[in-house]
Amino acid sequence: MGYGCFLPQPDAWMLVTVSIALITFLPKLRWRLVALATLSAIVLQPGVPYSLVAVVFGLLLFWCARRWPQSWFGKRPVAMLLAGFTLTIVASSAVPRTSALFTPAWVVVDIFAKYVWFIAYALTDRSASPQADLPLEAGAFQPFWGSTGVPFPKGAAYLRRIEARDADQLAVTQLKGVKLLAWALLLMVFERLWMFFFHTYLHIPLASAALDMSVRRTPYPWYVCWESQVLSFFEFLLQLSIFGHQFIAGCRVAGFNALRNTCRPLSSTTIIDFFNRFYFYFKELLVEFFFYPAFFRYFRKHRRLRVVVATFAAATFGNMFYHFTRDYWMIPVYGTVNACLNFQVFAFYCVVLGAALSISQIRRRSTPRSGFFQGRLLPASGVVLFYCLLDVFGSTQRNYPLSEHFRFLGHLFGINV
Amino acid sequence: MENKLAIRQFIERLLAQKGDRQPFRDSDSLILSGRLQSVDAVEVVVFLEEQWSIDFTQIGFDHNQIDSVDAILALIESVGASK
Repeated sequence: MGYGCFLPQPDAWMLVTVSIALITFLPKLRWRLVALATLSAIVLQPGVPYSLVAVVFGLLLFWCARRWPQSWFGKRPVAMLLAGFTLTIVASSAVPRTSALFTPAWVVVDIFAKYVWFIAYALTDRSASPQADLPLEAGAFQPFWGSTGVPFPKGAAYLRRIEARDADQLAVTQLKGVKLLAWALLLMVFERLWMFFFHTYLHIPLASAALDMSVRRTPYPWYVCWESQVLSFFEFLLQLSIFGHQFIAGCRVAGFNALRNTCRPLSSTTIIDFFNRFYFYFKELLVEFFFYPAFFRYFRKHRRLRVVVATFAAATFGNMFYHFTRDYWMIPVYGTVNACLNFQVFAFYCVVLGAALSISQIRRRSTPRSGFFQGRLLPASGVVLFYCLLDVFGSTQRNYPLSEHFRFLGHLFGINV
Repeated sequence: MENKLAIRQFIERLLAQKGDRQPFRDSDSLILSGRLQSVDAVEVVVFLEEQWSIDFTQIGFDHNQIDSVDAILALIESVGASK
């Protein structure tokens, strides 16, 4: 999958099973066992020393932020962390390919990229209630139940708030975890059947293939492109649901009652509601590190402007920052200038998303429309159509310029330039 | 008592906007349980800023502070805000 997933490795199943069994029977040692299992999972992965250095570095920053809260770093640790990460990428991109420092520089960026958002959550935990300490934070860095670059589910302080307090809560949470895992497995089977039926049996091209043909000036008929685009949207939802459910199921079985990552997105009747429901922990990341800082800092006397600026800070700037730094490898491969130019399509996607989310928030109705057709079906269809069309620009493959994506969009409506 | 009533009415209205008409107790978690989202938390923040002049840039913001009616009341009392 192209989301930078860190699912437990197949050979780590024994570790995951034993850890969950121990956590179940020794709930008082839950946090120590989570930390131990997470560190063991790191040891089982390739590049062990680098990952351990990243964990130690993250914990050191957390300790510094708590030790010196009034220092320059202690006051705005996340901003400093992200600025440091950006500077590391900029410095690495300045190293010539022929230099002996080229590979080590990008290895540092690679490790940093894998842990940066986990460290960011740890830094926000420095003043959280209940307070997390170093072993707790270590357990939340790429936890053993799996994660993407986005922490599932947030940091250690959040985990403390949602952990099962007694045997009854643990049983309920674990059962919810097992149920979610079963649902993920069902979705996985359904996805395979879906792919076989639509793409192998009916020969409907993948959206990427439809775009490729449009670029070669031999496009598929417009209705085939619509089919590809709509299927691609639902396939993305399925993939997101499957891996998100797997992570959260593991987290729940370990005794933490985390919310689902994807929860009935097709029932959303507004653009903001869909954004909230389809990739919850990514949205939470954007809200925590980009929306709230902007919201509490700027235009506090202008209610609407404040919301719009904060939304653009999160959905546009934050989204771009996350994806550009996640795909940092494009810089050494294509060069800095080309990597930035190739990002134009996704940048456009983020701008439109920011604008749509802003409008959606401002237009929130005080009383939702009643009736199934007017209140549910019509708005939900509109939301799906919007995201389906926006998905034309949502590609992070970055193969083609923006003009080609517009050409494809025009072709969907029978406009051929 | 007056504060609690105002908070409850506001939360009820916020939940109703989302089609959630389930009852809730003063101690019930609203954000951690998923009944209110980050976007709704923003509405709560604006409500507290406007009604009780609470300045979150001074006291810092944490979802825990506004996770339940009781938590919001405690926050209002802790900062000594008045309507």
